[in-house]
Amino acid sequence: MTRQQPVYLYCVVDRAPELKETEGLADNLYFVCNNGLYAVASKVEEEEFGQEGLKRNMADFEWVKAKASMHERIIELVMADIDVIPFKFGTLFNTDASLKAMLEPYGQEFKTILRKLANKQEWGVKIYCHPERLKANLGNDDSEILKIEDEIKSSSAGKSYFLKKKKDEMIEKTLNEKINECGRESFELLKELSFEARINRLLPRQVTEREDEMVLNSAFLIDKDEVGDFQNMVDALKMHYEVKGFLIDCTGPWPPYNFCGLSSGKGQNE
Amino acid sequence: MNSVVVKSKEITLLEVLDRVLDKGVVISGDMVISVADVDLIYLGLKVLLSSVETIEKLRGSPFVGPMQEAR
Repeated sequence: MTRQQPVYLYCVVDRAPELKETEGLADNLYFVCNNGLYAVASKVEEEEFGQEGLKRNMADFEWVKAKASMHERIIELVMADIDVIPFKFGTLFNTDASLKAMLEPYGQEFKTILRKLANKQEWGVKIYCHPERLKANLGNDDSEILKIEDEIKSSSAGKSYFLKKKKDEMIEKTLNEKINECGRESFELLKELSFEARINRLLPRQVTEREDEMVLNSAFLIDKDEVGDFQNMVDALKMHYEVKGFLIDCTGPWPPYNFCGLSSGKGQNE
Repeated sequence: MNSVVVKSKEITLLEVLDRVLDKGVVISGDMVISVADVDLIYLGLKVLLSSVETIEKLRGSPFVGPMQEAR
């Protein structure tokens, strides 16, 4: 008897998508339909994606990178034709019947989400900052820091020690203010041009493998007609902030991973 | 044309992982094999992600927007 292969779910759509591609990505894809909804899925190997295999493989970063990229590419392939509800990596079912059984209770909610997503795109904006570069720019336009620098020059050794300490504290405080201001202003201005907006956890440097620090990680759901305005705003923010030591990174369009929360509150990994 | 970054593979591996592993619809229930377990192991990436809160604390007054992710 052949063992049953797990069923991997990528996304849910409301008609059979036309998949145009040449890389063989879609070769194993098929649809499980229920009541006007189509789950885009593929059969995967039990050894790789079964309970034990998955546990083992999730510890292998190379495997995760490859499979996560595949997950993304397949959803993008579907998204090229139709609005999608993207599922989280590793959403697996025992059989087609169990996948179909999931579509039944969630069906109305999926349809509501798809209506919300119609004619919209998700874009991501991450802002990074190089604290040292930002610091180097601070003194020049902060009158209080300039004032204390003058005082240090004309003070005795003992007094200048305390003044220097005070200056460092002042710089630290101003630095935080500048970072918050950049994050808040950028987010608020972009949010105004969006249907929905979301702030996500910052990723530490060990994950980003960058020298600078992430100071904003945000996602926006934008009406397709507003994308141009949104990008113009990103450019304006870049003009304003990048000379000050920030870097603004805008990517998209993405599958709407951030905007498909189920009302039960369990639809999104919070 | 404006200068908004067009997706390139180099930039977006991080972006892909940030979304695919952490966002997207999660279904819980008997029919799903093991998403909950996967949540916990996450190749140590989860451990790294949880250190973010520490970074925010170090920075003093973290930026808290109206949409700040509830954690």
